[in-house]
Amino acid sequence: MKTNILKNKFYLGLSALSVLLLLLAWTYVSISGGGLIPTPFETFKRFIELLYKPVANGTIFIHLLVSLKRVIIAFLIASFAGIFLGVMLGWNKRFNAFFGPIFEILRPIPPIAWIPLVILWFGIGETPKVVIVFIGSFVPIVLNTFSGIKMIDSLLISAGKVLGANERQLLWDVAMPASLPAILAGMKTALGSGWMCVLAAEMVVAKQGVGFLIVRGMESGDSSLIIVCMIVIGLVSALITFSLTKFERKMCPWQTR
Amino acid sequence: MADKIRIKNLCKTFVEKSGETKVLDNISLDVKENEFLVLLGPGQCGKTVLLNILAGLDTPTSGTINYIKGNENGKEDIKEMKMGEIGMVFQKYALFPWKTVIENVEMSQKLKGIDKEQRRKSARNYIKLVGLENFEDSYPKQLSGGMKQRVGIARAYASESDILLMDEPFGALDAQTRYQMGEEILKMWRKDKRTVIFVTNNIEEAIYLGDRIILLSGCPATVKAEYIPKLERPRDYMALEFLQLRKEIADNTDLAL
Repeated sequence: MKTNILKNKFYLGLSALSVLLLLLAWTYVSISGGGLIPTPFETFKRFIELLYKPVANGTIFIHLLVSLKRVIIAFLIASFAGIFLGVMLGWNKRFNAFFGPIFEILRPIPPIAWIPLVILWFGIGETPKVVIVFIGSFVPIVLNTFSGIKMIDSLLISAGKVLGANERQLLWDVAMPASLPAILAGMKTALGSGWMCVLAAEMVVAKQGVGFLIVRGMESGDSSLIIVCMIVIGLVSALITFSLTKFERKMCPWQTR
Repeated sequence: MADKIRIKNLCKTFVEKSGETKVLDNISLDVKENEFLVLLGPGQCGKTVLLNILAGLDTPTSGTINYIKGNENGKEDIKEMKMGEIGMVFQKYALFPWKTVIENVEMSQKLKGIDKEQRRKSARNYIKLVGLENFEDSYPKQLSGGMKQRVGIARAYASESDILLMDEPFGALDAQTRYQMGEEILKMWRKDKRTVIFVTNNIEEAIYLGDRIILLSGCPATVKAEYIPKLERPRDYMALEFLQLRKEIADNTDLAL
């Protein structure tokens, strides 16, 4: 017992050491680099400054909210549409035969490649960003839902039939819950991909958002702004994954308990 | 005893690209009301197919199955069986992993639209029958193999069907649990009599359980012989009559002991 605690403390110490070494290396590089790279302290100062001093009529918090809003709207639409399409493709052979090929053709195109076309079609307002994020998160949701439905143990379907389930009940009471873990995994991937897409879209053209802010940093030679944005982006990504994992556990208690 | 199921000249042939495979060849047999009938046959023969046809999961190539509902004034009331009217226990349990024990057991009544209070009450009854009172809210993943199959048996019972099909229900259990479950299932059946068709490839299990044993041949399956063990229950595996019958059946089949 006691050695276990000691061991854990040792591992914790190792982790802290690695972060410390990274900060030291960063400081060393920035000092010897002659001003191209800000020191960790300068970056932190810039971060505090960004909390109350607006850049392009918004603090970093406002820019973050703008980006998150775009992601969440698009993600919700993509979830509904994606789960619907995925279930239909997996459940209905005729539907799959008809729509499957179209989806297969469009699927491998990276969502970012859509940006120019989407901007041409939808202009530079909110819509194109939402559309890009939608494209980026729609595909993983469809794919995971589809394979989730396809990979259901046929024994469970048999059991459902024997218990008297009609076609509708088979879908809602057997197939959907059986593929819920796969659907949630798809949503997790989708949110990560959506977060990436929003940054890309904002970097191309935007007046607000973290992607815009990071490009503003580049244009004004403000590398500490860029680094602050990068760290914030990373933290938000981690937070998204963390909260979705929590949500997953809550939705599928049978998987962990 | 009156007949419950009458199977006449049942044949089943699977047609595939590689050719035709005949798995059931002219199977005719009657199942009596509330009897414990054992179908004994080697591994790869069509026992499961026969059960699937009886359950309505598959259709025969030719032949008929009549379910006799009742017998009034010497006139039999023959009816079509609908899905959900026959209970089935699967070798690999086929429990719904996202449902707790009680939710699994009440599934058939839920699918029939019976209100929650009533179906819970009935489910609790059957959970008690299989001795899992303290595990109502557990998920299948938390249970041992023997306990899982108890849930499977309770679920089949809870469909309130007077016919229960059991497809090698103890096939996935270790030997010790297997003996124990054999004893248990007879206890349950005595408390709540139903017509049971029990499939196995284990001669001892067949003799221990069956009111009547139908010996099936290898592929394609035909009815080879019928045995009626004249032994008092609980049967003693080491009794002379038991061993004699075991030898008699073993000599008549290619099953390994």
